[in-house]
Amino acid sequence: MHHRLSTLAVAAHVFVGASLGCARGDGRTADSASARTAIATARRDDFGDTLPATLVPRRIVSLNPATTELFFALGAGDRLVGRTEYDLYPEEALAVPALGGGMRPNVEAILGVRPDLVVLYASTENRDAATRLRAAGVPTLSLRVDRIAQFRGAVARLGEILSDTATAHVVVDSVDRTLERVRAATRGRPRAATFWKAWDSPVIAIGGGSFLTELVDIAGGRNIYGDDPRPSLDVTIEDVVRRDPDVVLAGPESAARMRAAPAWQALRAVREGRVLVVDTVLVGRPGVRLGEAAASLARLLHPGAIQ
Amino acid sequence: MSDAFSRGLLWGVLIGAVAMAVLLGLAVGPVPLSPSEAWAALRGVGDVTSVAIMQDIRAPRVALAALVGSALAMSGAALQGTLRNALAEPYLLGVSGGAAVGAVVAVALRAPFGVVPIGAFGGAVGAVILVLAIARAGGSRPDPRILLMAGVVVGAFANAVIMIALASSPPDTTRNALWWMMGSVAAATWVHVAWLAVYVAVAGGVLLTFAPEIDVLALGDDAAAGLGVNVERAGRRAYVVASLLAAATVAAAGLVGFVGLVVPHLVRARAGRGHRAVIAAAGLAGAALVIAADLVARTLRAPNELPLGAITALGGVPFFLAQLRRLR
Repeated sequence: MHHRLSTLAVAAHVFVGASLGCARGDGRTADSASARTAIATARRDDFGDTLPATLVPRRIVSLNPATTELFFALGAGDRLVGRTEYDLYPEEALAVPALGGGMRPNVEAILGVRPDLVVLYASTENRDAATRLRAAGVPTLSLRVDRIAQFRGAVARLGEILSDTATAHVVVDSVDRTLERVRAATRGRPRAATFWKAWDSPVIAIGGGSFLTELVDIAGGRNIYGDDPRPSLDVTIEDVVRRDPDVVLAGPESAARMRAAPAWQALRAVREGRVLVVDTVLVGRPGVRLGEAAASLARLLHPGAIQ
Repeated sequence: MSDAFSRGLLWGVLIGAVAMAVLLGLAVGPVPLSPSEAWAALRGVGDVTSVAIMQDIRAPRVALAALVGSALAMSGAALQGTLRNALAEPYLLGVSGGAAVGAVVAVALRAPFGVVPIGAFGGAVGAVILVLAIARAGGSRPDPRILLMAGVVVGAFANAVIMIALASSPPDTTRNALWWMMGSVAAATWVHVAWLAVYVAVAGGVLLTFAPEIDVLALGDDAAAGLGVNVERAGRRAYVVASLLAAATVAAAGLVGFVGLVVPHLVRARAGRGHRAVIAAAGLAGAALVIAADLVARTLRAPNELPLGAITALGGVPFFLAQLRRLR
């Protein structure tokens, strides 16, 4: 797990470096075939669609809370002309017109705000909307932002499109610096076996495919379901008991329900009072506050290790 | 009021309702377009966005809704006559369950988006074959009651398969499949429209030519046999064609319930006894109602969409109850 994570991180750094590099060289090295290929690769999204190389978007619709937050962090919030009704951060985002949900979005409502770029979450549910928007002449960028590496990739991609790779660099660097600080602070401490309960009925655990497992790792824990490649999975109480976690992470209401439920008393961590309440708003999405999220988890798992 | 006059009135009302529904369906949407702008954009005149909205979003959507409604209503009208059962409709006969299994299996196997309707169609055809086989095992000649029971059983079995498949699928697969099972014409393209139009033209035409035979079947098996009709063959033929017609709509738009059950009852009292008129009138009424239901589905909570199948059921139940009271 640890090894795979660091490989991913290295790959992400290489990717970020490559796309930043070619964006900087854009224009002067445009005659070089390898530079063109690099640009084409960097402009291919998670659906395999590409953006026109000359696109400078002025009217952007962002249908993913994580990317909406990012546009504001990159100083391009004033270019947003549409968001989903769930994009509530930062506060300025509320002034952008809400166009409904981000899954199976209303294509006509999107076309109605006359965007020159639509950013979608790359779920199979959005494949049809991306195809329709592109058929109507509107470029789309579909990004899957589920892991920390994908967050770094998304920042680099948006920075390149906004011709502001410097700010993108600053955002990634600041997140990475905080993550590294948390990692260093928890290094050498015993790694608590952690069960992250995301839902009560059915019981849903966070799995290895989620950035939350990466955050637990950085914060000095070890997700007991980190070996499962899915972002989340249904589990049974008995299986959790068999894996015998040292601590449980859960949202405030979910934690209260767990402490009160007779069935969960079978779990040692519950009996010993180690159900820890996470700030679900802060850790909810892989965004610019990833570093803060890791720090808040480290404070829970290793009190005193980090200020 | 003379019979001929009341018939003429019925056709006038039905054609007027379809025309009105089409106009409203084209004119209303989240982006406000004046009638003249909308008309120009429909003909390809105006800015790119308006043209895309009219030609690639609203028009195929209205056309697909019309075809789905028409096909389901014609299928229901033919099945109710053939099986002499007021409750007969394509969905009760296992078509929807089979189609849903086919679609869910296609989604679970990570088939590309375009393949899911083919899976749905295959599943529906499989269910029809299974229902016929069960009905035949129940006796030498398929009894309409056994056919209905076989449909219900196949539907229940299909439900179980779907629940097991969904319980072990990733969340976005599950949501995709659930949305599809609630019915929607939001993903309409001209390719969908063209395919379904072929099915409606061919299968609908065949049902209209079978209509005199269905009239005889509706009298009862013995009477039909007495009149020289091969009851088993005629019944099976009408059943298979009507089911295929419903299966094609499921492939194009998912499960849109209640249309096949309610619409034939709405028109039967006024279109008379002959099934040619009942099937044709049901086709028109079904088209108008599903266009209207889709208009409600996409405007009631805009810009979010409501599932079309839920709207048709919500509207269909009160209509059906009112009809039952009148018949009492």
